[in-house]
Amino acid sequence: MDFWSNPVKFLDDWLTGVFSGWGMAADAARVLTAFVGILVLITLVMVLDIFLVWLERKIVSRFQDRIGPNRVGPFGLIQPFADIIKLIIKENIYPVGVDKAVFNLAPVLMMMSVLLLWAVLPLTSFLGLDLNVGVLYVIGVGALGTVAIIMAGWSSNNKYALLGSFRQVAVMISYEIPMVAALLIPTIFAGSMGINSIVAAQDTWYIVLAPLAFLLFLVSATAELGRAPFDLTEAESELIAGHHIEYSGMKFGLFYASELLHAFTFGGFIAAFFFGGWRGPWVEAYPALGLFYFIVKATIAYWLFGWIKYTFPRIRIDKMLDLNWKFLVPFAFVLVPFLALMHALLRETSFYALGMFLANIALGWATIEILRRRAHGERAKVEGAVEMHG
Amino acid sequence: MTTPASTPTLRPAQGDASDLAARFPGVVSPDTRPGFSGFTIPADKLVEVATIIRDELGYDLLSSVTGVDYLPENKMEVVYHAYKTTGGPALVFKVQVPRDNPVVASMTPIWKGAEFQEREAWDLLGIKFTGHPDLRRILMWEGFEGHPLRKDWKEAFYEEDAKPFKSRWPDGKHVLAEARNPFSDNLRFPSGFDPEKMTFADPEEALYRSLKKYTFEDADGIQADHIIVNLGPQHPSTHGVFRSAVILDGETVVSLKPVMGYLHRNHDKIGERNTFLQIIPYTDRLDYFCSMTNNHGYVLAVEKLMGIQVAERAEYIRVIMDEITRIQNHLIFFGMLLNDLGAMYTPALYAFEERELILDIFEAAAGSRMMCNYYRFGGVVRDVPAEALQKLRDLVFDRLPGKIDEMERLLTENDVLVSRLKGVGYLSAEDAINTSMTGPMLRASGVPYDIRRADPYSIYDRFDFKVACRPDGDLYARYMVRVDEVRESIKILQQALKQIPEGPTMSVKPQYQVRVPAGEAYGRIESPKGELGYYVISNGKPNPWRYHIRASSFINLTALEMMCKGEKIADFVAILGAIDIVLGELDR
Repeated sequence: MDFWSNPVKFLDDWLTGVFSGWGMAADAARVLTAFVGILVLITLVMVLDIFLVWLERKIVSRFQDRIGPNRVGPFGLIQPFADIIKLIIKENIYPVGVDKAVFNLAPVLMMMSVLLLWAVLPLTSFLGLDLNVGVLYVIGVGALGTVAIIMAGWSSNNKYALLGSFRQVAVMISYEIPMVAALLIPTIFAGSMGINSIVAAQDTWYIVLAPLAFLLFLVSATAELGRAPFDLTEAESELIAGHHIEYSGMKFGLFYASELLHAFTFGGFIAAFFFGGWRGPWVEAYPALGLFYFIVKATIAYWLFGWIKYTFPRIRIDKMLDLNWKFLVPFAFVLVPFLALMHALLRETSFYALGMFLANIALGWATIEILRRRAHGERAKVEGAVEMHG
Repeated sequence: MTTPASTPTLRPAQGDASDLAARFPGVVSPDTRPGFSGFTIPADKLVEVATIIRDELGYDLLSSVTGVDYLPENKMEVVYHAYKTTGGPALVFKVQVPRDNPVVASMTPIWKGAEFQEREAWDLLGIKFTGHPDLRRILMWEGFEGHPLRKDWKEAFYEEDAKPFKSRWPDGKHVLAEARNPFSDNLRFPSGFDPEKMTFADPEEALYRSLKKYTFEDADGIQADHIIVNLGPQHPSTHGVFRSAVILDGETVVSLKPVMGYLHRNHDKIGERNTFLQIIPYTDRLDYFCSMTNNHGYVLAVEKLMGIQVAERAEYIRVIMDEITRIQNHLIFFGMLLNDLGAMYTPALYAFEERELILDIFEAAAGSRMMCNYYRFGGVVRDVPAEALQKLRDLVFDRLPGKIDEMERLLTENDVLVSRLKGVGYLSAEDAINTSMTGPMLRASGVPYDIRRADPYSIYDRFDFKVACRPDGDLYARYMVRVDEVRESIKILQQALKQIPEGPTMSVKPQYQVRVPAGEAYGRIESPKGELGYYVISNGKPNPWRYHIRASSFINLTALEMMCKGEKIADFVAILGAIDIVLGELDR
């Protein structure tokens, strides 16, 4: 078998063969190989995470008209390692009244919730589990991170942390609805919940077929990630650090690292759902090339999250819930049947992609027009009232 | 620039200060001490007369309340400075009470703005104010013994009443005060207080009691309390070591009390120990963003006492420095407000870029970027170098107007910003005047009161500028007032830079020991944060007898609770940010 067409399968077979050669039962060898694979993947992901710290700091410094880390190593590349050493050698602090077991478990669970997502992330055509409930899995694992935040907030014995986790609950309950709706659209288009199948089905990128679904997913993913302008759980200027206020050292480091990795992972999902994932030129001939395309697309999406984060003030909690329940949820409920209908009508025609794109534009225009009319009406009402009183 | 068509809050000035003595014959008498002015009111008639002063004479803005300890006469005096929001000079009235039992009626029912200042007078001078709703210590800690501004109170390491200390050079050699005065020897504690055991009663109890608590029973009969959150003293958005005890109902602020004094160093007492000239560098440390304007207020007061004119060129330099101080202060304000709103540091760093250029001018003129120590009695310490002036011209004529436009394009119409600022933290014009708000806070509530216009000092009457004013009284108005003010400051700067004459920068011979005749003076300026007033009493000696600062950061907090009630905790941060406090000035 050719190594380059599916190196993972090749290595998998080879390693299973080696283990079997040592006289191991076939099933046991398969399990052991899987564990080795997971270990390798997690290690690589964590290394990626370390460079994300560097990338994040470089991105923010560019937005803020500064240079960013540039002292340790070329372009400051070694800076994150210095940070990690500092975090590791820090004292392990337990504030008074902390529920130790929950307190310690929270950062681990937080990191885990992100790493679990990588099981279904379609890095290439051959890497990433094509789970037949992949989309559901993403939503479910996403909620796990929320549990970690609630655990951290509750166990810290700190009012800021508690307020932060209260907010997280409100956000989670609200923003999962538009997110599920947004993910339903690629599911409908591809006819599968398996994420790799969704990527494989994207002969035309779904950003063309459903740009509105992309925007919906972007907004709800930003909220789910807890990044600005929806960083209410952390809310540096209000709640100081929110749920992870009492964490120091590497426990804080885990929260920080999982936040960045979470953003990158969602960047990966944006790439997979809307930008054709690993698809690109010559990928049929050299499937390993897909990894490169995927990482590039995910990084661009990650940069997009950074762009949003470093240019927006924070939205207030009530306004944020307003935005969700009064706009995103109704909008999602219109969008899903509308796009499903258009998909069914136009699928067999020759102008499928163009038609879908125009349908999106039309719906977007109608939405903006309705909102504008409503806002003008409201405004006239308020200003009229003012004039009457004045 | 919008000016409200009608300002219903402005009471027409129906009377004049000179009427006061005529109206209360035998009760109110003019202060006849040489160098002093104003009226003396007997303590028992204070509330009655003050009500008349506010309601009938039209002095609706109580600017400054402070106490003076006249140890030789065994008297305590409380001095009030009231102004009309329509402009004009102050009405000064005073109450004298015996020193061993100083009790004065509180002004808080008439002017709510007296609340903090009376607490300060109680804290530092031990004057009791009857009828004050919450008379606790404000700057010193709760277990503190004594009232430090009293003339017979002596600090740890006390040596002499006034500098320069002769005793430091007994043999022509320097001796450290600490070496001669061990720490424990002259430190006093409250009776029964053991510093090793901290046995005194919970000092926070009075604070928490002053918060309005709401205990209620829910449907199942379970007793429920709102939670108290202490925002600060370590908090990223309190601009230093400021603290607010807040009662929250979910996310909503129910009750709030500001707690301050963590940076207190008794600036007033330090001033009284120093000579007149030595005080100038200390004023830099008040509002450390605006050392130029701090200098200005102080030298204004002392120049009034000395009765000297300021050199013409120096007047222009002062106006120029004041206005670029205002611009850089407001630039920081925009950045920090956006920080408080959660746009972490991006706008702040863009604002700092312009500010650095302004600090370059300060550095060229004064030698320091922040602690300028630049003004002297009669002028400024040295001329501005020609290159710095040229740099400033480039900045003011070419660069800054465009940069302000750019900043406005980025921020003013931003949806998130507007949704966070519009309609939040409302303060009506009546409340703003009553709580002694000054500066942009007052003007954002629709009161066009700017000392540069209302009671011109220096040469501000020569320039053409508008008073920035917005009628809405919300956070957005406070933001917009500052934007307008930056534009007006640029206008003033452009005129000043065109008109600035050549000539000396000092009208008198510079000297280390200035002779200040006995008397009192209140010098006040429109600092970027509000009215900055210096109340100085001289008794002819090299040191002031009383040196008091009316800090706008401090007094503008009076309305904090009023503005925050019913708003979200996120808004509290923004409201506090929009007051624009600096802890150096707040805690003094």
